[in-house]
Amino acid sequence: MTPPFLVVGAGPSGLGFATEIARQAPVVLLDRIPVTGGTAGWADARVRQFTAAAIRRRVQLRLGESALRWGNGLLLVAAPRRFERIAGQHLIFAGGLRPATAANLHITGDRPAGILAGTVAEHLLATGVKLWDTAVVLGDGPWARTVAERARALGTRIVAVADGGNWGDERLDRPDRLSVIGRDRVTHLRLHTSQSFIDVPCDAVVLAADPKPNRNVDGALVEGTPAVTFHQPVLPHAAAERYEFAVQEARKWLEVNGETR
Amino acid sequence: MVSASPRGAGRNVDVVVIGGGVLGTAVASRLSCTTASVCLLEAETDVCEGASKGNAGTAVSYYGPPGTPETDLINRSCPGWEALCERLDVPYRRIGAVMVALDEAEAGRLESTADELREAGVRGQLLGPAAVRGLEPLVTGRCVAGLSMPDEGVIDPMALTVAYANLAVTNGAVLRLGAWVTAVHHDDDVTSRVDFTGGSVRCRFIVNAAGVAAGAVSSMAGGEEMRYWPRKGQYAVLDRVFAQQLSRIVFCTHSATTKGINVVPTTHGSALLGPTAADLDDPDDKATDEETVAALIDSAARLVPAISPDFVMKTFAANRPASDEQHRLRFDRQMPRLLHCTNRSAGVSISPAAAEEALALLRQSGLDAQERPDAVAALPRMARLRTEPEPQRLIETDPLYGQVVCACEHVSAAEINRALEMPVPATSVDGVRKRTGATYGRCQGALCTAGISFMTALHTGTGPASVRQTSRGTVGSR
Repeated sequence: MTPPFLVVGAGPSGLGFATEIARQAPVVLLDRIPVTGGTAGWADARVRQFTAAAIRRRVQLRLGESALRWGNGLLLVAAPRRFERIAGQHLIFAGGLRPATAANLHITGDRPAGILAGTVAEHLLATGVKLWDTAVVLGDGPWARTVAERARALGTRIVAVADGGNWGDERLDRPDRLSVIGRDRVTHLRLHTSQSFIDVPCDAVVLAADPKPNRNVDGALVEGTPAVTFHQPVLPHAAAERYEFAVQEARKWLEVNGETR
Repeated sequence: MVSASPRGAGRNVDVVVIGGGVLGTAVASRLSCTTASVCLLEAETDVCEGASKGNAGTAVSYYGPPGTPETDLINRSCPGWEALCERLDVPYRRIGAVMVALDEAEAGRLESTADELREAGVRGQLLGPAAVRGLEPLVTGRCVAGLSMPDEGVIDPMALTVAYANLAVTNGAVLRLGAWVTAVHHDDDVTSRVDFTGGSVRCRFIVNAAGVAAGAVSSMAGGEEMRYWPRKGQYAVLDRVFAQQLSRIVFCTHSATTKGINVVPTTHGSALLGPTAADLDDPDDKATDEETVAALIDSAARLVPAISPDFVMKTFAANRPASDEQHRLRFDRQMPRLLHCTNRSAGVSISPAAAEEALALLRQSGLDAQERPDAVAALPRMARLRTEPEPQRLIETDPLYGQVVCACEHVSAAEINRALEMPVPATSVDGVRKRTGATYGRCQGALCTAGISFMTALHTGTGPASVRQTSRGTVGSR
């Protein structure tokens, strides 16, 4: 029996890709959290429709299971009470995006408390606790607006350092070079211009710039790995468009790879 | 912050150790296995917050020059790393190093280093360029000669420091965190009182393992005037996509003035470039700068051309304790009950023998410290999901091994809970990182810091705003 295609990541991209290739072959769809939807959220009405469509195509959902290692046609997955090696003929990694790190953005200076990724800030702010008085939200990534809205609703002043960024109380252009100032806790973000710099006072910096693909399955970390396909587009943002884009990409992919079944 | 039944839990102990870095914790753990009572004071809210945190991650076989007490302690420590790290459950691999010469001048210096190794009784072998690249194929084709040093190893210096502290507390040592020493009074020729933020303790002996603050501690204790200053080293950490190809430590040829930039595979599967060296006045200045980081990567890429800025996951700086006396493991010349225990840079590499030596010196000065047969010698092993070939068996010890929190480094909830519950527990996101490697990976915590914050908050009785992110700062500012 031909092993199934394995799709890692059950956000709109993974759902779209899995549902489309399920026309031709058995598909197993995994996600590390116990719901579908990824960053679009499980409660999203579209996500529910997409999930129902996947189930109608007999996509096998394995939720709450983390893919750890891929090699020799086997994917090692972790579940809360079990590890398992799942055979697959091909791994499609749709593990989504994360904000660029301080190193990705060449941010130098101090390394105090108060520097957080946008993904982290989203979760922490979802508790409804006011965390900061003034936060810089750096960049225009998909987390920026949510973080700014949640923090502002809790009384935090938001300085957007981003070229778009009209969702802040104040907006500054994003410079080429940035450094952090603050020993125990961040006190300023320094924006370097060619001649000079300005220091933006803040008690937190949220990194929400330049989305990068997550890569966390050993043996499937880089483009060009045999029997691995990455589908982690930066655009489009909206869940429905991401789903539709994944469906189109899966069709193209099947034209090239469909004969493998 | 103390074990269930610490010996000397009152205000009197035999020995106060000041400084919870690798040397202070090593000495405290060694003393804790004897009948002497010990109290370890650390100024920060966790152990391993100074130079030991920003360490190059090598347990060296040679640091040079030959014939010094430091070299002797390295020689005595080096053969025992496998056994010690097995006992303390610390990641360690003796992968060997190759020192690389890029021109004839460096090749000449390499020969001098080879002579020094011979004199110091350390294994080393001069190699031609082909043999160098046979040992480590990533070394540059411009290499003209090399020196193989097979006894060099890589170690997790933070895990080592935490393990020493865990062993000390398990054996009844008192650990006080957030304990800045403010004054030392000598009652008489026999006892002293050490005051610190939050308390005071009387003792017979004081071990000064305060790193860059050792000069200040000596002054407070009526000891010699000693000058210490921070020597800042900047580092870059590279992704495993690069590091998994690297099999050995690559050193540049030592010059008369500097040991230069090294390329070190870490026990976590990443690679570390560094350190640079710049003398400072301010020990809290741990800032990186773009020019130094760029020069650091360039220097490393001269040794290993596959290195590129694209692989950099993180940059950081740390300050090692430079002093007019590079190595001090001796009693103070004015205050005979004050034992100095500091080293410029090789604290990890000397720590096992330095702890033995400190004990021997204290005994010579009259400390009654007999080996306790009931002392715990080994820490419980904490299996790491990331390096476990057959993880199914871990589920039997804790089902939460199947709950992966740090997606990049594959650190499970079981490991994080253990870090939050060990004898010297993590009390911050950074503390969890030091103990488990969570957030070390390419996303630098973008996927797991929220989860670790919540788990840490649960264990420390705090919330999302007040949970500690670092030793000194909280996630929220309010």
